[in-house]
Amino acid sequence: GDAFLPAPQSILILSTNMKRFLTWSPVFVQGATVRYSAEFQAKYERAYANGRWIPISECSFTTATMCNIRDDISDTVAYRLRVRAELGATRSLWGTMKGFFDRITTSLTPPLLRVLAEGHHLLVELADMGPAFKFRLLYWKKEQQNNVQQKVMREVSSVVHLDSMEAGAEYCVKAQTHVEAINRSSSFSLTQCVRAQGDTSMSL
Amino acid sequence: TAGDKISRSGACRVSLSMAEIRAGFTAVKANIQSRDPIRTLSILSHPHSLHKVKSSDRCCLTHHLFTFYVDKVFKQCRTKDSFVNRKISSIANSFLSARRKLGQCGEQNNCVCGEESTEKFKQILANYEGLNVTSAAMKSLGELDILLDWME
Amino acid sequence: SGELYCSLPNPRNVRFESINMKNVLHWSAPEGTGDGVLYKVKYAVYGVGKWIRKAECQNINRTWCDLSSETSDYEEQYYASVKAFLNGACSDWMETTRFNPLTDTKIDPPMVSVSSTDKSISIILTTPEKWKRSPEEESVSLLQVYPGLQYNVSVLNKKTKKRWFFSISNNTLVVPWLEPGTAYCVSAQIHVTTPLLDSGFSKERCIATLKDK
Repeated sequence: GDAFLPAPQSILILSTNMKRFLTWSPVFVQGATVRYSAEFQAKYERAYANGRWIPISECSFTTATMCNIRDDISDTVAYRLRVRAELGATRSLWGTMKGFFDRITTSLTPPLLRVLAEGHHLLVELADMGPAFKFRLLYWKKEQQNNVQQKVMREVSSVVHLDSMEAGAEYCVKAQTHVEAINRSSSFSLTQCVRAQGDTSMSL
Repeated sequence: TAGDKISRSGACRVSLSMAEIRAGFTAVKANIQSRDPIRTLSILSHPHSLHKVKSSDRCCLTHHLFTFYVDKVFKQCRTKDSFVNRKISSIANSFLSARRKLGQCGEQNNCVCGEESTEKFKQILANYEGLNVTSAAMKSLGELDILLDWME
Repeated sequence: SGELYCSLPNPRNVRFESINMKNVLHWSAPEGTGDGVLYKVKYAVYGVGKWIRKAECQNINRTWCDLSSETSDYEEQYYASVKAFLNGACSDWMETTRFNPLTDTKIDPPMVSVSSTDKSISIILTTPEKWKRSPEEESVSLLQVYPGLQYNVSVLNKKTKKRWFFSISNNTLVVPWLEPGTAYCVSAQIHVTTPLLDSGFSKERCIATLKDK
């Protein structure tokens, strides 16, 4: 007879920087490989489509107990998620995540920033974080802490010119990410200072 | 291209993930439009173009259209293709969220329904009801870029 | 005229190729038909009840037809269709997908002009114009069509081989504090967020800063 398959438990979403990993506890069946499939249901489906569930292709028939829900968790609405185990033709009941997931809850980390001085030019390099992210950079002359300049940049994958610097002066920069879709920002990165040419250029 | 756009509809400014909605629609546009064989009829753009609507009427017509898509269109657009279904769900939930924001704004800023927007929306409903439900819904979904172009 | 016997293979890959809203219909000849095939072209404004034959593209032997004039209103969308004829036989009408000039066109890079002093270079970018019927017709810059348009500018120091990027919204950029007597190469790209449209980067324009006085 068909083996009884318990539903997966401890279903969670771990979300950092708009990436979403659905995780669940494994279902053990001696000597067999259990696969899993996941589905989501958003507010529209609950309110207008009889609670329809939609398969998540990247989390279908997987042997892993985690999958990266790449896209399609859109706008700030509440999502429900469920996972079931599959062994041959046998299916477990659905295990449903407790509560809802709203992408506004993602945790945002400061961007990876590198500050360079080339002659009189203040340059930055920022690690690309995907199309949802903008970068807000604050920079100032070290001895003029209250005269802070700001620049907002889209996705960047190369050395970007921030401003030109006065000869020999030291400039400091820090950056944060901003995600317009959820209207939230990360905390700032550590501040980095460099000195313009006209003196020995060095990075502190 | 984090193109979150502020869509100005008359007195209301609604933050809407236009880039996300556009990306979602672009991914399924050819699939959806290929399911609409009728070239000679449009739900949104004929006989009167959205672009001719006065700006004072934009807010009300936009709200009407969000409601039209949420209440009538998306639910009739289920396909056998799970990729397409997922994109439709993503767009539908973005519209649901946008309609809520526009609704809230509309109440505070008397999102006035002038004669022109009422007339235009009646025309859209008449175009929609002139076809069978599934054809009308699929045609309306295939015209989403007409709505997005107008909103931008 | 009575309809011919339509057993000819169909034209293939019927599509619009659009650059700066110059919208040209292209297709490939039917498989295995060699020379002598003639074509007819018609088009329709989506949502309007009739197909219109393009007079200049009736019984032509080339495999393209310029429909820029007929599709110049970018608030509309369009279909076009091609039929092949050979030795009394014909093919079916073969249609394009729905064409939206606003989102389906490609944008040329901006024109870049550079000048220099001993310590700086000045860059002026000119956005391409939308296609127009004749030189006398009033020009429309793509900046008017895509108000959110921005530029990415790349500046390469030929001596140090280091490349910097600038992201700007207006069309002028001055890069000060450069090294005298040094060659810099500039290239620029247009970026539109929604609808998502990026031009390629322009050909590099190089200029040297003047030698130190």
